[in-house]
Amino acid sequence: MTAGGDLARPVPGGPGRYWRSRQGLALAVPLAFFVALYLYPLSRLFAWSFFSPGFTLEHYAKLFGEPAYLRALRNTSQISLWVTVIALLLGYPLAYLMTVVSLRTRAILVVLVLVPFWTSVLVRTFAWMVILGRRGLINQVLMSWGVTHRPLALIYNMLGVQIGMVHVLLPFMVFPLLSVMSRIDSALVTAARSLGASPRQAFLRIFLPLSLPGVSAGCVLVFLLAVGFYITPALLGGEGQVTFATLIELVVRDLLDWNFGASLGVFLLTVVGTLFVLFSTVLGLDRLTGQGRA
Amino acid sequence: MGPALARRLLWTYCGLTLGFLCAPIVIVVVVSFNATEFIQFPPRGWSLRWYENYLGARQWIEPTLLSLRVAAVTMVLSTVLGTAAAIGLTRGRFRGRRVAEFFFVSPMVVPSIVLAIGLYLLLARFRLVGQPLALYLAHSVVATPLVIVIVSAALRTTDAAIELAARSLGAGYFRTLWHVTLPSILPAVLSGAAFAFLASFDEVVLAIFLGGPTATTLPKRMWESVRYEIDPTLTAISTLLALIPIVLLAALAVARRTLTSATAPPAGIEG
Repeated sequence: MTAGGDLARPVPGGPGRYWRSRQGLALAVPLAFFVALYLYPLSRLFAWSFFSPGFTLEHYAKLFGEPAYLRALRNTSQISLWVTVIALLLGYPLAYLMTVVSLRTRAILVVLVLVPFWTSVLVRTFAWMVILGRRGLINQVLMSWGVTHRPLALIYNMLGVQIGMVHVLLPFMVFPLLSVMSRIDSALVTAARSLGASPRQAFLRIFLPLSLPGVSAGCVLVFLLAVGFYITPALLGGEGQVTFATLIELVVRDLLDWNFGASLGVFLLTVVGTLFVLFSTVLGLDRLTGQGRA
Repeated sequence: MGPALARRLLWTYCGLTLGFLCAPIVIVVVVSFNATEFIQFPPRGWSLRWYENYLGARQWIEPTLLSLRVAAVTMVLSTVLGTAAAIGLTRGRFRGRRVAEFFFVSPMVVPSIVLAIGLYLLLARFRLVGQPLALYLAHSVVATPLVIVIVSAALRTTDAAIELAARSLGAGYFRTLWHVTLPSILPAVLSGAAFAFLASFDEVVLAIFLGGPTATTLPKRMWESVRYEIDPTLTAISTLLALIPIVLLAALAVARRTLTSATAPPAGIEG
């Protein structure tokens, strides 16, 4: 019971408590919707992955037994790790800049991140195809300058996937960082400076450690989104960049092996779910959108 | 390294990062006015032919209309569901509230490919794959959490005691909801609705799997096209799609400003 409830409660167990206990009922319809169209379909995947028609672990054995599938696993972790590291290297200074400029400048910088963030992923990935493709804009320029005679392979490989994915996921790094950094008391840095610390020392000993929760929030979020990402690897990756998500599509659509596809889905879900539990228990759900408040 | 130099370096580095974020969109917008069959930058001649191509082709307009319809239905459905859920999660006191919160937000991080195959197996059994209804439902699963997050944040900053006051003065549940709770969170409900619309309008993976051969949304049609060739018509469509978030963010900023000044309680009432 909070103060608000006590204030409006003339008799013990009166309308305040009654009101609050009934407020939960607003959840009934959304809950039914989510159980039917979210929880149930995902739990059906579990069933598909373990039965065929009797109980079996063969689909999981296949996943860990065949080099082609292990390669997808390796690709996915490799791509996700790189994307997380690059996003951190680009995102940290940007979030830091946002906290040291005036509120007006910060608003402009935030909009410059928000607009691409809300632009369709498909549009942004297509834009990279126009820029990096075989006959794309970069190759046009390089060839007209005579830097190269044959077009460089900039997409349908690891490079293309990484560029495209960093572009899509960078805002998910910036916003959690910004939400943590903007809550750091700037007086602490000022105090360190007045006590004789150099700007570098004040940053490394005071600001950086205080911003670490934002770093872990951003990294976990970017990594978990990268692991299950489909659109960009499918469009910008080549045959060597089959990831977990694109493998699922391949198995389900081309091989029509729904049991194996389901087991891949369950595996992916387990990885993402574990990371999400970690994220929300350690760092708080409100950081997810960067709208977190103290 | 002096502080002035450090600051200039920081600005340069961040300027490049922002350039990386924004340049692809700017480039697509510019090349969409290209006059030649072959995409060039900067264009040697200007024209609106790719826009004419888009507006004149049934194969593009029909998916656009379907996308608008799906996004509108999704917006209504997920705004109602999401607002109700947000009220229950922030105002209710019951066991397992944290778990419920976690559950309702989790679709935001579940890989859409996994959700897509799960929903395919379910909806195929009801022969809904290829029907717009499948898309209304599927898109609402991913759009509702957005509404929940945005509306919950607003509910946490409004004072629940005002609702209790209304109740103790004799207003019923729905009367309190309509006259007290909803007006105070209206800006958040509107932005939740706008983002739900956008999320549905741009949704690709669920649409590819659940649209079947008959219910083709604009992103699904674009996806089919982009996998085979780079059709310059796509640059025109991309430009129009890139305009939506810009218009939306601007409209929300204006709406929020006017709404908060109109509905904000007189200073002093809020703690």
